[in-house]
Amino acid sequence: MALKIEKTFQIEEPVDKVWAFLSDPRKVATCVPGAQITEQVDEKTYRGAISVKVGPSVTNYKGEVQILRLDAQNHEIEILGKGQDVRGRGNASMKMTGKLSPLPAGGTEVTSISEVNVVGILAQMGSRVIAEVSNIMFDAFTKNFQERLKASAVPGAGDQAGVDELKPVQATSVAWQAAKGLFRGSS
Amino acid sequence: MAKKQMVRVRVNGRERQAEVEPRLLLVHFIREVLQLTGTHIGCDTSHCGACTVLLNGKTVKSCTVFAVQADGGELFTVEGLIKDGQLHPLQEGFKEEHGLQCGFCTPGMLMSCFSLLEHNPNPSEEDIRWGISGNLCRCTGYQNIVRAVQFAAGKLSHEKKAQGALK
Amino acid sequence: MIHKTSPEIGGMGHPIKRKEDLRFIQGKGNYVDDVRLPGMVYGQLVRSPYAHARIKGVHTENAKKLPGVLAVITGEDLAKANLAWMPTLSYDKQMVLATGKVLFQSQEVAFVVAEDRYTAADAAELVEVEYEELPVLVDPHKALDSGAPILREDREQKNNHIFHWEVGDRQATDEVFQKAAVRAKVNAFFPRCHPAPLETCGCVADFNRATGRLTVYMTSQAPHAHRTVFALVGGIPENNIRVVSPDIGGGFGNKVPVYPGYVCAIVASLTLGVPVKWIETRSENLQSTGFARDYHMTAEIAADSQGKMRALRVKTLADHGAFNAAAQPTKFPAGLFSICTGSYDFPTAFCEVDGVYTNKAPGGIAYRCSFRVTEAAYLIERVVDVLALELKMDPAELRRKNFVPAERFPYKCALGWTYDSGDYDAAMKLALDKIGYQQLRKEQAEKRKKGELMGIGISSFTEIVGAGPAHTFDILGIKMFDSAEIRIHPTGKAICRMGTKSQGQGHETTYAQIVAQELGIPAADVTVEEGDTDTAPYGLGTYASRSTPTSGAATAMAARKIRDKAKKIAAHLLECSEADLEWEPGKFYVKGTPSKAKTIQEIAFAAYTNMPAGLEAGLEAVDYYDPPNLTFPFGTYICVVDIDQGTGEVKVRRFLAVDDCGNIINPMIVEGQIHGGLTEGLGIAFMQQIDYDESGNVQGGSFMDYLLPTAVETPHWETDKTCTPSPHHPFGAKGVGESPNVGSPAAFVNAVVDALSHLGVRHIDMPVTPWKVWSVLKEKGVTG
Repeated sequence: MALKIEKTFQIEEPVDKVWAFLSDPRKVATCVPGAQITEQVDEKTYRGAISVKVGPSVTNYKGEVQILRLDAQNHEIEILGKGQDVRGRGNASMKMTGKLSPLPAGGTEVTSISEVNVVGILAQMGSRVIAEVSNIMFDAFTKNFQERLKASAVPGAGDQAGVDELKPVQATSVAWQAAKGLFRGSS
Repeated sequence: MAKKQMVRVRVNGRERQAEVEPRLLLVHFIREVLQLTGTHIGCDTSHCGACTVLLNGKTVKSCTVFAVQADGGELFTVEGLIKDGQLHPLQEGFKEEHGLQCGFCTPGMLMSCFSLLEHNPNPSEEDIRWGISGNLCRCTGYQNIVRAVQFAAGKLSHEKKAQGALK
Repeated sequence: MIHKTSPEIGGMGHPIKRKEDLRFIQGKGNYVDDVRLPGMVYGQLVRSPYAHARIKGVHTENAKKLPGVLAVITGEDLAKANLAWMPTLSYDKQMVLATGKVLFQSQEVAFVVAEDRYTAADAAELVEVEYEELPVLVDPHKALDSGAPILREDREQKNNHIFHWEVGDRQATDEVFQKAAVRAKVNAFFPRCHPAPLETCGCVADFNRATGRLTVYMTSQAPHAHRTVFALVGGIPENNIRVVSPDIGGGFGNKVPVYPGYVCAIVASLTLGVPVKWIETRSENLQSTGFARDYHMTAEIAADSQGKMRALRVKTLADHGAFNAAAQPTKFPAGLFSICTGSYDFPTAFCEVDGVYTNKAPGGIAYRCSFRVTEAAYLIERVVDVLALELKMDPAELRRKNFVPAERFPYKCALGWTYDSGDYDAAMKLALDKIGYQQLRKEQAEKRKKGELMGIGISSFTEIVGAGPAHTFDILGIKMFDSAEIRIHPTGKAICRMGTKSQGQGHETTYAQIVAQELGIPAADVTVEEGDTDTAPYGLGTYASRSTPTSGAATAMAARKIRDKAKKIAAHLLECSEADLEWEPGKFYVKGTPSKAKTIQEIAFAAYTNMPAGLEAGLEAVDYYDPPNLTFPFGTYICVVDIDQGTGEVKVRRFLAVDDCGNIINPMIVEGQIHGGLTEGLGIAFMQQIDYDESGNVQGGSFMDYLLPTAVETPHWETDKTCTPSPHHPFGAKGVGESPNVGSPAAFVNAVVDALSHLGVRHIDMPVTPWKVWSVLKEKGVTG
């Protein structure tokens, strides 16, 4: 089940600062709910894990994040994340292209286009749940991204700041969002 | 495993109790602990209604209720419809009007119809169809079930009139 | 000659109330999940999330450690006992538990056994399986491409082609098409759907170590056949196996195949020596048990300019999923699809079907299909409507012009079947009159002027049921006869057992009525049992509307054997010769002296107390009936729809079903079958599809997405009948249970297309959802 998700958000930090954060998977992982990087395999590849909770069921994925393309000049990054459910229930992958553009007022616009593909039991739920899960995770990501970026301006804040604090996306919020989604007709 | 809890329920007029896991579904409590197998399981998404019973006077899908939620309450299942060997007019109606074929949806259907007639003793065909829209049937196409409910409605109102006349 | 019996006796034609209802309305049915045996434990399957993947490892340690878990069985475990694979009813084989690789999402990979069902569910969650994904094949049109992934490594031929089957005269048909004045063509897809009986599949397998006997309580439409399969596959002596099919909550073909869950439960019981219960969930049922249809069909009709049909040409691609587990008679890999010439007199025809494997659940024959007759009838009724549009001819008129005339029966059709009897025009005429066809066409014309959308759809189907004669029909080599055994007790009551198995069809009542008809014993005094292989005579079970044509016939024949013996006893009691006796239901009397009579009850008593010299005691008989032919019920269905232009929603305003199934045993039961089948047809036409995305994820795997009609969507069904008895059946009856599924989808779709035909629409594939209709309306500029 393949889904395309486009997201754009603004952040009140200069492009270079945002780029420095965004191009480091270890830093980015701290913003993704339920995610952590466990080791770096080589300069482009990292191993990690993510926990996704839908309803009362939690799915733990173990996988890889690969930086496919890093263009420091144009501030473009292409990342491929793939995870297999540790219990063999399926897998999920996401190819994300992120682009930064400086804003006239001094901030940065972050545009991301992601292709999400889910195989397995979760995919049987259909695009409505997967889209909502992805949306909620993205919303949480952008919120965390902005906060972490701000916090990293403070001396002493490290990579591992707050990893444990990030719990998996909450079940009821997903179910509620999915239900709301049905009525407002958006996906 | 979570600690077991005591559940006390009045089932078809009789006090029953048992220690159950908090996660035990009411339908499994009814079928396996109480050993009343009339209530059936037909799906896993709360759609089919085969598990319909009355809990504290309201129809519920017992597959989506925990047994512990019934603690201290009143449970009415299909086994409770018959009184002193006399079939309830709904049961008679289902037989007279051929409102069942394989019989699997029938207990849940009877409970929904029972509740429907309690709230609306003189339902139109549309009322009946809406009233049983939470109960799926694969065999009858619903048409004879509607006739069964109409039969029962007629008999119940006739009995009520007769009782009234006696007073 | 069929005597009319009194209502008290309740023979043929009486709408007597059903004897089985009493237990069901009290919630005292005995379905498989109601079976509770001492020491019983629970099994649950672990299933694959992937449509196509290699199994790198199955880790069961964590599951085995859980308190309350008794066993975890994997494919490797079964392989040691040569049970990892089992034969299918189509002479293919199917994995019981996967070894090496998995071939469809939800395929069975492991089986856990625990003390209660909650612990079994916990344990199933703890089984870890490592998969390595393989490319997925879900489009059957790509299955034979050179680059397609080869699914079945176990077969010698390394491709995804299962079979090619053809019938008819290709050359003669092609020649007619080349010269044809008019041609009509339709590409009609019959989507994959699922019968979804309200009770899912399951069993309790009970191996008794002390006696060496295995008893399997099972949701089975064919208990004897299943017993023989278990004996052959499991190597257990057949006399030590008892299959009990108790009350079944609907079958519709879903309960004919042997599923891995049954085999795993049996293996677990043999291993543990305790009863093992396995009941699947609804999601498992929809995602892994026998689906129905999935036929990609093309039909062409060649006709002359006056509308006389000259030839039919049909080509079909059959998507069978990962294993060929379709349940049909051996010689017919596409079932009885060659009935696709339908009710029309085609001088020549040709039909070919190719079956392919895909990464989907196995199956194909189910959902009241009469062995692919649903696909065939839908196809011919759709292409006939397309031809009507080509000719600018009224669809009723076109049909009537081409019906096989009543005088031509028995009729040999161009694809080889000999139809026993029929009067298609009579059924059509009754339907047209009753629905007020001319008035409806007028109304439609007026509505069209106002831009309102109204359609009338006709389906004049011919069915083919009652498999079947031993010279042509067998399943796994077992001929498709069926049986009845009747025993009369001294006090004149009777017990009968048949080789069929009702799942709601009312056999406890209808078979009793046959005995009542033949012997005059009141139906209330006749007990009917089915489903216990220890007591019932061998039969092939109930599906494909075969019970009345086979076991029903056997019942009549057995009763007549009893009547013959009864006559001897009556002659002895009345001290006359048999030649002096006349029969009327319930008694023999001396010709000319009706007061000198003996009732069947008196005769029964005498069979045990006062036998004639040289005659054995008792009054019973068994009959194994080999039908000389199939039976061909038929009908005309007319559907009237109104379409909402804003939403594309189709409302069925009226639906009239005129059915002809020959002589009827119980009209109340027949009418109930029609209601139920039309409702299933409604679901199929408008609401149902089991689909797969490009990764092989099943869409429609639960009732959230796979929709069943409720009482609100279901319209009021109008029914009527004509009666053209079968000339070869002992009491002129034909099967009928599946006619409504066979005939109705085309009526619904024809009605929708008819509502839109003035916009240039020729065909819409099922399910005809509001979105599909709205899309057409938008495309045609009708809606914004």
